[in-house]
Amino acid sequence: MSMDNRRIPIEERLNSNAWDVSQRPHIRIIDPDKCRKCEAKPCTHLCPARCYTLSSDGTVLFSHEGCLECGTCRIVCPYNAIEWTYPRSGYGVQYRFG
Amino acid sequence: MSQRFDVIVVGAGPGGLTAAQRLASRGFKVLVVERGRKPGSKNVYGGRIYAHVLDKLYPEYVKEAPVERWVRKERLTMLTKDSGVTVEFEAKATEHKSFTAYLSNFTEWLGRKAEAAGALVVTETPVDSLITKDGKVVGIKSGSDEVYGGVVIVAEGINRLVLESSGLAPKLQPSLVGLGVKEVIKLSRGEINERFNLDEDEGLAWALAGYPTHYVPGGAFLYTNKDAVTLGIVVYLEHGSKLDVPVYDLIEEFRLHPFISRLLKGGQLLEYSAHLTPIAGLKAMPPRLYGNGYLVVGDAAGFLLHLGVLIRGVDFAMESGRLAAEAVVKAHDEGKYDEEALSVYQQLLNESFIMREFNAFKNAHKALNNPRLYSDYVMLANAFMGRYFDVDGTPRRLWDTFMRAKGNLTLVDLTKDALSLVMNL
Amino acid sequence: MGATVISSANAGSNMGKELTIIVPVKAAVPNITAVRLDPVTHNLVREGVPLMLNPYDRNALEFALRLKDKYGGRVITLSMAPPSGKDFLESTIGMGADEAYLITDRVFAGADTLATSYTVAMTIKKLFPGFNLVVMGEETTDSTTAHMPAQVASWLSLPYLYYVVDGEVNMEKGTIKLTRYLEDEGVYEEFEYNMPVIVSVYKDSNPPRDISLNRKIQAKLSGLVKSVTNNELKLDPLCVGLRGSPTIVAKIEDAKPIPRKKQIFKGDPREAAKWLIENLIKEGVIKP
Repeated sequence: MSMDNRRIPIEERLNSNAWDVSQRPHIRIIDPDKCRKCEAKPCTHLCPARCYTLSSDGTVLFSHEGCLECGTCRIVCPYNAIEWTYPRSGYGVQYRFG
Repeated sequence: MSQRFDVIVVGAGPGGLTAAQRLASRGFKVLVVERGRKPGSKNVYGGRIYAHVLDKLYPEYVKEAPVERWVRKERLTMLTKDSGVTVEFEAKATEHKSFTAYLSNFTEWLGRKAEAAGALVVTETPVDSLITKDGKVVGIKSGSDEVYGGVVIVAEGINRLVLESSGLAPKLQPSLVGLGVKEVIKLSRGEINERFNLDEDEGLAWALAGYPTHYVPGGAFLYTNKDAVTLGIVVYLEHGSKLDVPVYDLIEEFRLHPFISRLLKGGQLLEYSAHLTPIAGLKAMPPRLYGNGYLVVGDAAGFLLHLGVLIRGVDFAMESGRLAAEAVVKAHDEGKYDEEALSVYQQLLNESFIMREFNAFKNAHKALNNPRLYSDYVMLANAFMGRYFDVDGTPRRLWDTFMRAKGNLTLVDLTKDALSLVMNL
Repeated sequence: MGATVISSANAGSNMGKELTIIVPVKAAVPNITAVRLDPVTHNLVREGVPLMLNPYDRNALEFALRLKDKYGGRVITLSMAPPSGKDFLESTIGMGADEAYLITDRVFAGADTLATSYTVAMTIKKLFPGFNLVVMGEETTDSTTAHMPAQVASWLSLPYLYYVVDGEVNMEKGTIKLTRYLEDEGVYEEFEYNMPVIVSVYKDSNPPRDISLNRKIQAKLSGLVKSVTNNELKLDPLCVGLRGSPTIVAKIEDAKPIPRKKQIFKGDPREAAKWLIENLIKEGVIKP
């Protein structure tokens, strides 16, 4: 489908990448309670892959599958509640262009 | 079982691989440890490399390196939702100053150079921490594996997980970095040449400010490659909370801006990527660039010059890799890799363009971090032009038009901000 | 665990002194939208697309390595690939394989599953006559035929068990007890075989271990990945590569999305079920 006049959903954009995703997540929310209490929840806004989403009960859900490995979440989290490392064994996004 | 090397390089990016190639070619036993599947598979940048370092390091690059296009056209646009003011510089010169390239390909090429010189490049293995003994860095740890070396060159990139976990750098702060988000869009060569008014191997480097980041400090870029265009936005993370849309929507709004989308008609998305970039000059550096048994190069050292329109990372990374290699050689000649012997690295940096430029632009970030630049002034420029060219029979004298266009900006603000830019950039 | 014990009657032969496990792996094309098909040959255009180790082969290798951890012996990986396939084999050494063989020769290019399985089976037979097990991934992510293990088994005239999740070796008796998991039925089955035997590993079992830095260094420094060409293997050129491949991709078409009626029933689930059945009968999808 042409991309000329439409916003490409983030899932579709992520699908244009080459991936080899590990079954083991490289992201961990250390204390979900901190996220629930966090007002700004900058991770949900500033993660370029939309890995962090807000569920209806106020908890922050994350998925490591679409992670672009930029490290933004780790830095913008005001409560240091995100444990973020690099995937091991070469897993994760495989940039072909960079 | 554990191996021993003369030099261990953490990270196979432009900085680490340059250091590795230099040292391996002088007979050092070099190990490069990379987390990605191959050099370049985790690298992302804007889109352009300044060639001056390559002239020195790899003069054969003109034929060998995966160059896309030589930049002959520089464009700067202050963009609003429905208008834009553009300055363009075009040079007919055939001199090779900067080129567009895919960083993944370019880094892979540097990887082959390092391997050809004799360096061992091992991929798929992230380094977790440095091994320290009696206050000296003596090796690296990856999972439960340990590898020992005479000296460790930390070239791990902007996320300094190794330096942080080893207590050699404080946690990265939002004020020091920008978030870059980028799309690679396939177009035919003919379409690119026609739409951007370029000759066969000519490239355009285009910086934009204002609307692309919704007037929040940061900017946008567009580079032409052979048969693709790379475009992206950079948001200063310190101001990230001011964005009125999520960053993953922001880049799409930029791409769909009528002035941009008409240039990309019929394109196909090839890749969507993101990366952090140091923006704060000297302030982004870790407290120490060298110590007992280690050196820091490239993004990990904060070596990226960000002057708004001009962004230079790869040349700084490669030059710091070259200087780190030189420092290791000198320290080796002295027979030790302690702090004192390695301090020659700082000295070499100071004498190089790296510190000369960093010192010259030491307040650039302060000047560029002014939110008015990305909002009020973008509006002013567009309002001024809009009024000036809106011929309806009333005289449009420059000063009068300007005074009406400036909106809430006071002349004091204007003078202060203008001075700050002129003095610091 | 519901266990059915079946004993096979194949003769255990060629038994080596130590457990020898062969793990054939494939460099697969990742699942990206930008992958193109050649308009003439209809084969995948691999240029510019990064190859990666077929993910399920890592689970197969993990299964083999767990057996090795328990019973000793050696694990050998092999792959039929262009010279760049060396990288993937180094990754298998990184996980723990003892050595790796890259089967690379121009005559092997363009092979379908029949020619590939022949090449792999004959390589195993020639280079490792005393092998006990051949372990493979459930399928590949880029072609998903799951042909290879069955075809290798038939070239070698050996039994084949799929969806395997666990194994227990008895080296004295030369047997292996294999557990497999049938996803649809949700049951485990146990089988006992005389070795050698061919198995493919259930893709959601045996999560692969990490690649070790020291192992990868050793792979490079000690040259643990070896290349073999048809000069050594001496396979009949008519049975390998494009010439040994009867498969012809005659035509490829984009699957067009089927237009749906997109009717939605809102309300009571009982009523919804009734409504659904009535409509399916009306459309002729089901018979009353």
